[in-house]
Amino acid sequence: MNRRRFLKSLLAALGTTLLAAFIYPLVRFLAPPSGEAEGKKVVIKRSEIPAGSAKDIVVNSIPSIIINTPDKGFIVLSKICTHLGCLVEYDKIKSRLLCPCHAGVYSLDGNVVSGPPPKPLRKFPVKVEGEEILIG
Amino acid sequence: MAGKIRKWLEIRIGLDELIKTQLTEYKVPRNINIFYTLGFVALAALISQIITGFFLLIYYVPHSDYAFRSVQDIMNKVPYGWLFRQMHAVGSNLMVAIVLLHMLSVFFMGSYKKPRELTWVVGSLMLFTTLTFCLSGYLLPWSQLSYWATTIVTTVPTAFPYMGEFIARILRGGETVSGTTLNRFFALHVTFLPLLLLSFVAIHLFLIRRIGISSPPFGTSGEEKKTWTQYRHESHAGGHPFYPYFVQKEMFMVSAYFVVMFFIISFLPTLFLPEDANTPADPFKTPAHIKPEWYFLAPYQMLKIVPNKLLGISIQIVLVTLFILWPFFDTKEEENILKRPLLRTLFILSILTWITFTIWGRYS
Repeated sequence: MNRRRFLKSLLAALGTTLLAAFIYPLVRFLAPPSGEAEGKKVVIKRSEIPAGSAKDIVVNSIPSIIINTPDKGFIVLSKICTHLGCLVEYDKIKSRLLCPCHAGVYSLDGNVVSGPPPKPLRKFPVKVEGEEILIG
Repeated sequence: MAGKIRKWLEIRIGLDELIKTQLTEYKVPRNINIFYTLGFVALAALISQIITGFFLLIYYVPHSDYAFRSVQDIMNKVPYGWLFRQMHAVGSNLMVAIVLLHMLSVFFMGSYKKPRELTWVVGSLMLFTTLTFCLSGYLLPWSQLSYWATTIVTTVPTAFPYMGEFIARILRGGETVSGTTLNRFFALHVTFLPLLLLSFVAIHLFLIRRIGISSPPFGTSGEEKKTWTQYRHESHAGGHPFYPYFVQKEMFMVSAYFVVMFFIISFLPTLFLPEDANTPADPFKTPAHIKPEWYFLAPYQMLKIVPNKLLGISIQIVLVTLFILWPFFDTKEEENILKRPLLRTLFILSILTWITFTIWGRYS
């Protein structure tokens, strides 16, 4: 390797390092800041959701729904449709969740029944302690 | 006085020579047609967007708590605020239409062919930058329409395995579209995108001037067609002068552009601002019939009918790549599309498919 080639390689390596040193903080800078609500538990009174009914809530800044299903008890799901992000609505009569944008249908477990959604709705852990329901 | 200023400039920058080489002795082909002015109309539309955008910035508040109110105040309280906002909103739609028409006419005239491949590539990048402009600006009024249209578009990258969710989070600055997204889109809309688009404009204009305006394949230019084996400037020695001949045509078309704009503002003021555009964003309620703007309806409808989301988006990426790199696929020398039955059929079919998907997306 002659001197010119060595210097060129050195310059290329330095340039790449500098670029990487710039890109890493840039990606970290653009990544969403962790919010205060992250990981915070949501508490709801049992009496607020009679059997068969549902209530819109917000879990970790995500629009969600808690459903009191007759067979599986309380289920908490993100309302964000996994297709294109519209919010699903609870259809009490047909016991399902329906997306108004592209007619994606989910079961009350959050599983895809029909339509374009590629995966089930996000589920949140739920715990019932006496009269209180703890979510998240 | 004017003569004195002219002389002052002549001594300093050689004004007479500049006018000669860039305007009066700069020639355009004899058979040039009105469609060749669309690029200049697009530039005029961009200038109009920059000026009206600057005026809107004076009153707009880029914060999710105040954005909607500030836009309503621009429309209802600020003297003539409605005029500048309408010019900006209608102008953005018309600008997309003009850029699309310009690209269609360039395609039809075969002007993307050797040695103008780079001009086409930069032009198509400008089209997609314009669409990104529209998308980022669409969220700023923080209305139901803007909020949910942005939600849909920023969910599109989630179709990609591994990186998809991360890209969507970077775009939004969180799980969902929020005030953070508004800040990001605002920064994109008023700083990064203008610089990017103006850089593309500069490269595009440089390429046009450096290579020379292409001759339409229709009519007779009286010029001999030479094959491009090395760089040369296509000077059109026997052509019309750029000024006043071609500038007159350009001014006529720019006037027509503003006539259409003010017709829409005066007689169809809700065409681009429907009811959902005047309802504040509610992150907990998706409107029943959310639709994107007309230029996104075709890809939106395609996503709707392709059962697999990743497949739908992959098809669109392939189509966009094919569009940008088209001059490298179509390398035949014949520029006249009327003598290319296969290309002509492809051209007509593509337009018909796009129109069909757009109408279908609008009414489905």
